[in-house]
Amino acid sequence: MGDSGGAWHLSCTVNGEPVEAEVDPRITLLTFLREHLLLTGTKGACLEGECGSCTVIVDGRPINSCLMLAGQAQGCSIQTIEGIGDDKKLHALQKHFIATGAAQCGYCTPGLIMAAKAMLDANPSPTEQEFTTAIEANICRCTGYESIRQAIRDAYREIHG
Amino acid sequence: MSGRAFGTQTPAAPPREKEHVLPTEAPITPSPFAEKVRGPVGRSCDKIDGVERVTGTKLYGADLIAREADLHAKVVRSEHAHAEVVSIDTKEALRVDGVLAVLTAEDVKGTNRHGLIRRDHPVLAKDRVRYRGDAVAIVVAKTEQAAAAGRDAVKVEYRVLPTVESIEQAMAPGAPHLQPGGNVMGGRRIRKGDADSALADSHVVVSETFRTQTVDHAFLDVEAGVARWDGELLTIRVSGQWVHEEARLVALALGLPVERVRIIQPAAGGAFGGREDISIQIYVGLAALRFAGKTVALRYDRAESMRARHKRHPMRIEYAMGADREGRLTAAKVAIYSDEGAYASTGIAVCRKMSSHATGPYRVPHVRVDVFGVHTNNNPTGAMRGFGATQIAIAYEGMMDRLAAKLGVDRVEFRRANLIRPGDAVTTGQVVPSPTAVECLEAVLRQYGSKSMPSEPLPTHLRRGWGVSVICFGMGYGDGFPDASRARVRIGADGCVEVYSGIVDVGQGAENVIAQVAAEEMGVGLEHTRVITADTHMTPESGSCSATRSTFFAGNAVRLAAGELKEKLLDAAGELLCVHPNELEFRGEEIRGRFDEGLCCSLGELVAAARKRGYELEAEALFKPRTICEDFETGQSPRAFITYMFGAHVSQVLVDVETGEVRVERHVACHDVGRAINPEAVRGQITGGVVQGIGMALMEEVVYRGGRILNPGFTDYILPTVRDVPPVECVVLESNDPLGPYGAKGVGEPPLIGAVPAVLSAIYDATGKAPATLPCNPERVWGMLTGS
Amino acid sequence: MFYQPTDMAEALRLRAELGPEVVTVCGGTDVVVAMNHGVARPEAFLDLSRVAGRDSVERVNGIYLLGGGVTFAQMAKLPVRALAEAARSVGGPQIRNVGTIAGNLGTASPAGDGSVALLALDAEVELSHVERGSRWVRLEEFFLDYKRTALQPDELITRVRFPSDFESVWYKIGKRGAVNISIVCCAIGRSPAGAYRIALGSVGPVPMRAMEAEAVLNGDSTDAAHRAVAYLADEVIERAAEAAELEAAPIDDQRSSARYREAMCRVLVRRLLRELRDG
Repeated sequence: MGDSGGAWHLSCTVNGEPVEAEVDPRITLLTFLREHLLLTGTKGACLEGECGSCTVIVDGRPINSCLMLAGQAQGCSIQTIEGIGDDKKLHALQKHFIATGAAQCGYCTPGLIMAAKAMLDANPSPTEQEFTTAIEANICRCTGYESIRQAIRDAYREIHG
Repeated sequence: MSGRAFGTQTPAAPPREKEHVLPTEAPITPSPFAEKVRGPVGRSCDKIDGVERVTGTKLYGADLIAREADLHAKVVRSEHAHAEVVSIDTKEALRVDGVLAVLTAEDVKGTNRHGLIRRDHPVLAKDRVRYRGDAVAIVVAKTEQAAAAGRDAVKVEYRVLPTVESIEQAMAPGAPHLQPGGNVMGGRRIRKGDADSALADSHVVVSETFRTQTVDHAFLDVEAGVARWDGELLTIRVSGQWVHEEARLVALALGLPVERVRIIQPAAGGAFGGREDISIQIYVGLAALRFAGKTVALRYDRAESMRARHKRHPMRIEYAMGADREGRLTAAKVAIYSDEGAYASTGIAVCRKMSSHATGPYRVPHVRVDVFGVHTNNNPTGAMRGFGATQIAIAYEGMMDRLAAKLGVDRVEFRRANLIRPGDAVTTGQVVPSPTAVECLEAVLRQYGSKSMPSEPLPTHLRRGWGVSVICFGMGYGDGFPDASRARVRIGADGCVEVYSGIVDVGQGAENVIAQVAAEEMGVGLEHTRVITADTHMTPESGSCSATRSTFFAGNAVRLAAGELKEKLLDAAGELLCVHPNELEFRGEEIRGRFDEGLCCSLGELVAAARKRGYELEAEALFKPRTICEDFETGQSPRAFITYMFGAHVSQVLVDVETGEVRVERHVACHDVGRAINPEAVRGQITGGVVQGIGMALMEEVVYRGGRILNPGFTDYILPTVRDVPPVECVVLESNDPLGPYGAKGVGEPPLIGAVPAVLSAIYDATGKAPATLPCNPERVWGMLTGS
Repeated sequence: MFYQPTDMAEALRLRAELGPEVVTVCGGTDVVVAMNHGVARPEAFLDLSRVAGRDSVERVNGIYLLGGGVTFAQMAKLPVRALAEAARSVGGPQIRNVGTIAGNLGTASPAGDGSVALLALDAEVELSHVERGSRWVRLEEFFLDYKRTALQPDELITRVRFPSDFESVWYKIGKRGAVNISIVCCAIGRSPAGAYRIALGSVGPVPMRAMEAEAVLNGDSTDAAHRAVAYLADEVIERAAEAAELEAAPIDDQRSSARYREAMCRVLVRRLLRELRDG
């Protein structure tokens, strides 16, 4: 708890690393990630919770970072696209998004991967409906979704053998 | 294979080549190339920069801002759809803490105009605003918040003029003139035979008025980028679709020599025609000129993006079509009224595309078409995937269903009987090189028929139906408009084949295509190919990424340049091996004697030797096929387009006849793409186009009132989600285009064009009522069914 | 300013002390959207996301008691059909994970799916003040006018309660299959005694009850026998549906015309009553 004018001391964990920052708690988590931490893999597109491009995982749940205030991330564990894999070791989802052609322009891709990851992390045996529900609020304007669904199914199979 | 083609270093991160995977369940029609697949062309291979795109490291315009911006700009826009600008008071804005400058038309040193065809759009409006997106000033500040506060503090005094909201108002007597020439800008026409007499003599005639809606591109990556002026060069990094033209437009508007403007394309998060018109390049460039040595940033939010950008033309299409007793089409008479919005944009070309595609892939002996582009105070309308061919396909396919019904014949048979066959001409009189409309139709029906309709009984309020469409699309600008691509191919210091092309990859994979073409032509693996694109100071001009032309044009230019480079290498090899180059040939990554197997050198050796002797290991080529401008009286041209693409779709829908809700249950799309250079990318274009088509058919619509967009965000500008589209069944029909690179044609636009009429046709089949107004959202379908 | 209390007593104290310019926020799915659009520029927030126990779901003596911070994701799992289906139809997982019932009620949008479902379930909302204590308000009295409620600026929505033994049904018409804002939505609840409650969304300034339609079904008698299921003959359903169409007071907006919405009230009431009848 506590009040403060202007800057605020924010402690949270981002991609496993502790982050301590003096920020205005009224900016969005999206702005904090992109402009303060330069984690620009998380994208903004509609800023009203309708497209899912800004999806990150907060304490295990997918949320729209454009709608969460930075102050609300106090004490939270945040995972972004940068934290799940890199060019040396891709996450299964990242690998299969490439393999199925699920990333065309790639702008929606980080949000989709994070939405899918949150579901795969939480659900050891998703149904076909649950695969779909996981990404129902993520807009992709390029691919038509099926390659995305396929990538998530393939990643699930890889992860769960 | 030695592991490297040229030189000695190994390039990093080789892209993985993939199996030639067939689409999910959908059988591929036997490809004429099936036996020839050897090199990279014809294989699905991973996106060159796929790793960057899935790890979030690819930098888009807004990402540059987060990393580099020193200053921030914001645009002051008109508060009215139509007004005179009386005065602009910047004093208050300049007092806002952090605001450094407020720029108005006075500060623009060049023509202060832009426009892809007519330069009629003011960069900063000086005396008059014609739509609510018109810019009147630019505020530059130290922070984005200060720039926004400054923007809100600029006081513009307007004298409000009457708003022209619609085509009907614009054409009414006494309507205010929005452009000097009046509200109707030069339309286009077709006069082929005698449509009036032929209709009068027809056995049946059907008439319908179609109304299509305003559509937004809704790419996710809103306009954003940075510019920097170093005193010599203005470097602008903003996503567009044609870097060289953007440089010209910026230079003209701002009064700089074009050499002093460098445009570099950052990653683009989709485009779909929405980045064709200039967007923020000039604004951010203007701001940067004022602050030498500073990186100035500008970005829109979604609402500003929708308010500022051009849209897909809404149209009123009055169509009459006749057929004889035997079910042959006799004549078409078409009047098209297209809302051009406030400025011309690419409207004239869209008007032409409407007229040149007015009867689609059908044989119609008598055609009369008049297109009227009408200015209003709505957003300018211009390029969007399909470019007029989308709207007209809704009309001609709608007519095919209606005529078949009136004749009492099967709608598929009726189409089959009237589709163009080899030797037949399309609307423009052009005899199409290789018409594959019939093949597409048969293939799509085969795939659709491979699964049976669900047989469970439906509740009384649900109706199921399926619909069909066949479409054609002329590739490239066409009609004599200059259309060319250049490319340069060289051997880089590390021995890789470097490809330089001005073409822009907007996400669809143009870079993959040209890499595959270069690798194939040079006989090297894709991992030895590097692509450098879309930088006016690094890459030769390749024309726009639009008109479904990137594969055909950029691909051909790269192929030609690579061929030139091979000749140079053979010259060098001849010298090295002391024979005439004609005695030698490429075999994989070696050069061998044609007749003497003993003559041999590896490419690596050759390159090293050629370098020593001072050979320039670089070649540039130009691909510039000619089309012929139509006769303006008749709209006829023997070669309006270089080649045509064909496609056919079947859509199956479930309609709730009480609520008007429509769900697409299946969608099958077959496209003749020529050679599929990257089959997976081709399928990606088809499935993506279909989803945009379903969006246009059922839900997407920009709603205006008094020139104001009522739904400038994704809460109310409704886009299809994963729950709105079935897995699209793609059938890729390969053919060999004689002029295309390795026989390729292209694929970008046709899938959207085919999807919309197929969905409408399915609604007709399900309900017995034929939709004529888009989108078919629940209320409209309900209205159609109840007559409300 | 950013206040982040961790218990309800503290939250209530802050709410009472701070002025109305301090905006209550929890999921942020309404408040932050307005900020992002530049429509609202709140200087200060009272963030309830850390208040312990606000997400509790209890079922006591036939009554469901939901903390104000119960999310749509939680509601989507309740065995209360109309509420669960309404909750599932809100946004996607990202919104459902953070959007709360208190936020949905407090925003009082006529299109608030959760509010419409709760109205059909005869729900009451608990409004609490640090000194004045708590008061339970029926939803009919809670929604006053377009985006205006009985909540005082110094109060918080602390809980929601409704009987757990209603049967209920739900339908929403929107323009697409997910993340779907309602053009019209309808929830119907039926008490064990056979009394019907019909709630409609997006057809008036607030989520509304179709009282005339209910009267057709319930009559003016309190006699349970009068409300036997058998009364739901097609003809009765049709009269109720017609009554709903007549009493709905929608407007034309960019989402739909009033005419369509009225017509859909009839369709949905008819359809849902048949569903209740036929099971």
